[in-house]
Amino acid sequence: MTQQDGTISKKLRIAGIFIILGLMVEGFSLLWNHPLSFLAFLCVGGIFLISGIVIYLLALISRTT
Amino acid sequence: MPTALLLVCVAITIVPIAVVIVAPGITVSRGGRVLAFLVLFILPVTVGLFGMSEHIERSKQTSFCLSCHVMQPYGKSLYVDDPSYLPAAHFQNARIPRDHACYTCHTNYTIYGTLHDKLRGLKHAYKYYIGTPANPIKLYEPFNNRECLHCHLGARSFEQGAVHNADPETMLAIKNNKLSCVSSGCHEVVHNIPELDKVKYWKP
Repeated sequence: MTQQDGTISKKLRIAGIFIILGLMVEGFSLLWNHPLSFLAFLCVGGIFLISGIVIYLLALISRTT
Repeated sequence: MPTALLLVCVAITIVPIAVVIVAPGITVSRGGRVLAFLVLFILPVTVGLFGMSEHIERSKQTSFCLSCHVMQPYGKSLYVDDPSYLPAAHFQNARIPRDHACYTCHTNYTIYGTLHDKLRGLKHAYKYYIGTPANPIKLYEPFNNRECLHCHLGARSFEQGAVHNADPETMLAIKNNKLSCVSSGCHEVVHNIPELDKVKYWKP
């Protein structure tokens, strides 16, 4: 495994963890019908999810280049 | 989409992501890269959008609006035993869906409506939990007749109502939102929060 492969693997792991955290928050937020659950969905789950996806896309770009 | 199905989708999305976390080496091959794109991009975005849609739908429920303490008097006003109270008459006679009572008449209030309205909704949540909510609550803009007309337009009671047709310009002014349905002398008793301690209540 090259050093670049190792870096990409690490980024994929981080992206995956962020996305799982985001999905878990979003899942839990669906169990409660309250404005706070909507905020948790948007501000916590959404941020984890978007961060994970961005990290994944950056890893994809770095692999391509 | 039902909540249970959405939760199943979340679980189904998490499993292959966990596989990628445990064995990122599988993404080296072409098939692995396609799988990674699917589970780290397509599926989370799709599930996120479905979740967002579900939350927006839930936010239309009367119970959602009334879960904020400052909205509770408005919920109470729906049970006033006096037909001159416009929201109460609509709510009690099922002229509006009871579980979507607030949203039916306030389609552009905070989280409903355009992106601008949704941002206002977030501002409300911020003010409620961190700042100080306005007391009394006021609409951002005068109540628009559009909210009434999306049900009453074309209805015989509205179109042929004696007062609505008192002169040729009245009906035109109502339809063009120049003369408000809730203006003084018309359907002026709305939530009337300051008087809620002095009225009788309907018990369903």
